[in-house]
Amino acid sequence: MKKRLLLVIALSFALCCLGTSAMAAKTIKIGGLFDITGGTGSVGTPYAEGVRDYVRYVNENGGINGMQIDLLDVDYSYKIPQALAAYKKFKNAGVVAIMGWGTGDTEAMAPIVTKDHIPYMSASYSEHLTNPAVTPYNFMVGTTYADQGRVALKYIADTWTDKSRKPRVALIYNDTGFGRSPFFDVDYQGHHFPAAESYAKEVGVEIVDTPVIGLRALDATPQLLSMSKNNPDFAIVQETSVMATILKDAKKLGLTTKFFALNWAMSENILKLAGEAAEGCYWTNPFAVWTDDAPGVAKAREISEKYHPGVKQIVNYFQGYTAMLVMSEAISRIEGEVTGEKIKDALENMKDFDTGGLTVPITFTKDSHKGSLGLRIYQVKSGELQRVTDIITVKR
Amino acid sequence: MSANICGDYKTSYKEDMVLFQTTFSKFWIIAFVLALYVVPLFLGNYVLYVANMICIAVIGALGINILTGFTGQISLGHGAFIGIGAYTSGYLTMKLGVPFIVALPAAGVVTALFGMVFGIPSLRLKGLYLAIATLAAQFIIEYLMVHLEPITNGVLGLLVDYPSVFGFSFDTDLKYFYLTVSIAILATLYAKNLIRTRPGRAFIAIRDRYISAEVMGVNLFKYKLMAFGISSFLAGIAGSLWAHYVTIITPEHFTIGVSIEYLAMIIIGGLGHLIGAIYGAIFMVLLPEVLRLMSESMSGQFPMIVNMFAAIKEGIFGAIIIGFLVYEPDGLAHRWQMIKAYWKLWPFSY
Repeated sequence: MKKRLLLVIALSFALCCLGTSAMAAKTIKIGGLFDITGGTGSVGTPYAEGVRDYVRYVNENGGINGMQIDLLDVDYSYKIPQALAAYKKFKNAGVVAIMGWGTGDTEAMAPIVTKDHIPYMSASYSEHLTNPAVTPYNFMVGTTYADQGRVALKYIADTWTDKSRKPRVALIYNDTGFGRSPFFDVDYQGHHFPAAESYAKEVGVEIVDTPVIGLRALDATPQLLSMSKNNPDFAIVQETSVMATILKDAKKLGLTTKFFALNWAMSENILKLAGEAAEGCYWTNPFAVWTDDAPGVAKAREISEKYHPGVKQIVNYFQGYTAMLVMSEAISRIEGEVTGEKIKDALENMKDFDTGGLTVPITFTKDSHKGSLGLRIYQVKSGELQRVTDIITVKR
Repeated sequence: MSANICGDYKTSYKEDMVLFQTTFSKFWIIAFVLALYVVPLFLGNYVLYVANMICIAVIGALGINILTGFTGQISLGHGAFIGIGAYTSGYLTMKLGVPFIVALPAAGVVTALFGMVFGIPSLRLKGLYLAIATLAAQFIIEYLMVHLEPITNGVLGLLVDYPSVFGFSFDTDLKYFYLTVSIAILATLYAKNLIRTRPGRAFIAIRDRYISAEVMGVNLFKYKLMAFGISSFLAGIAGSLWAHYVTIITPEHFTIGVSIEYLAMIIIGGLGHLIGAIYGAIFMVLLPEVLRLMSESMSGQFPMIVNMFAAIKEGIFGAIIIGFLVYEPDGLAHRWQMIKAYWKLWPFSY
């Protein structure tokens, strides 16, 4: 009796092994490192949803070249140590690429993914990750934060009418890799990355203050009060959901400063949270919004409608969706076995890939991993996000 | 193996001071240590990763247990002290090119110095007041980590290499495990011996009744500072090992959360029991991993639940810890003693 039991166990174990190895040949393992519960969870959750939905859509429609995508999904709560733990797990599972999230963790892990040859596409649009000489395995579909900051500064300089003085600008950020990335020049791994601070001098804009407001701050009054002493005309903000607090507190204090949100700091959610206080706020946005009229956006709406009926997705959903779309496109261009190196090659040969209006056409080259070079400036007008510029293209 | 005598039955001080109380325990401890060196050969990288984290946590937890569990001085800055060890080791090896074998003890010594500086108020401050003073140390050190950019590289983090000793590089999880487990065993032996010696007895005397201790001739200031020094030294060693293992350190690694986690480790494991530090470290490292595995195993079948589960995960974590404090306030070490006593006395439990 006991022997038979052992035999059955051994057989089923063998079957399991066979089963998984047979399955492994048909799946592409991709790591998904998301922030659901951390400091940036409010934008991380819809982003993760976008990635997952696109994976689900691809799998339900036959996968990529007949292979299913296996997305290994981890919530790392925006903590770098947990991201490293997740990375070890991904590597063990044999992932060929990773869809990441934050700036701090992406920059921290850039040397490791380079060593392990794992392409890494994160939601961080930090300029530091775009130079293949420094971070050869990092790719991004958004316009970099520093470029967004430059566009904002250029827009401010161009629309400034008072010739008697320069426009005065404050840069509001959180003291993390993400927060500092658009504004401050950095020497990262021996390479110099210029940012908004030095560009301001070029276009003749005066930086008058750089207040720090934490990602989880519930009150921005002290920082805004001290900022208002320098009387800035504009404030460029690199935050996430705390933006709503900033706008509300600014209104409460009666500041006349005009706010300029970089892409993560504004969305339909912030509009709802901030209400009237958001009126007049500018937004640099490289992605499509729900109401945009383009084939790619219609497709994304259709997929979202299928999996989450009745939900009107915010812009962050499209960010995740587009990143996964680009990654899938690169994988679909690979012949034979899918490896990290091949995905990197496929991405680097991607020229003007049409996302159907979700972003401007995506191009990666061997010398630059900036995928998207175009964005639009929006402004909140009577409670809605309205485009105020056409596509502004930045230099590579 | 001679028949076990029930309970604690000793007739001389010498007997009481024996490292291994019975041949039985001696046998099993040696067997366990041997297993620690053999079993990992058959383990996967992920399990080894968790094992490494446990070993590092054991060293750190031993440190805070000496300070809080044995000397009775609560510290809310242990996470920051671990950070000092990590940055010291990282800075010495990466920027000054000091070999790891020197940087590791140096990290311990530098952290011990920091710990002793922040321990100076301990002569005047007790209990909650000391907790707040060490909390201040946590914030001061965290601030320094962000803003001492020439040393720490600020929020961008410091890149650290895998350590190598005389050309042998600990660059895999398995190799690293042998390093961490060896140091963890040494640290445990050290702590065990420390408690049996004069300073160890002085620590316990201070914890139990500091006035009586002083009356007996224990130099309070000296021993309190010594406890801070030893505790921080171990924290520094843990930090150094951690830095070289994760290969990148940022100020985010060493927040107040880490300090509280270490405090929770020794409370769950058992304050004032060395074995408690080990149980606590294992428990606190494994719990989030188990919860994460649970949420991940569900992600395939029920992607919708994951978002919810991710949020309640933290809640479950808290609930388990509260449950522990309510039902086993003396920690896992005490529970283990109860289990042992039960079997020793069985079937005559009275």
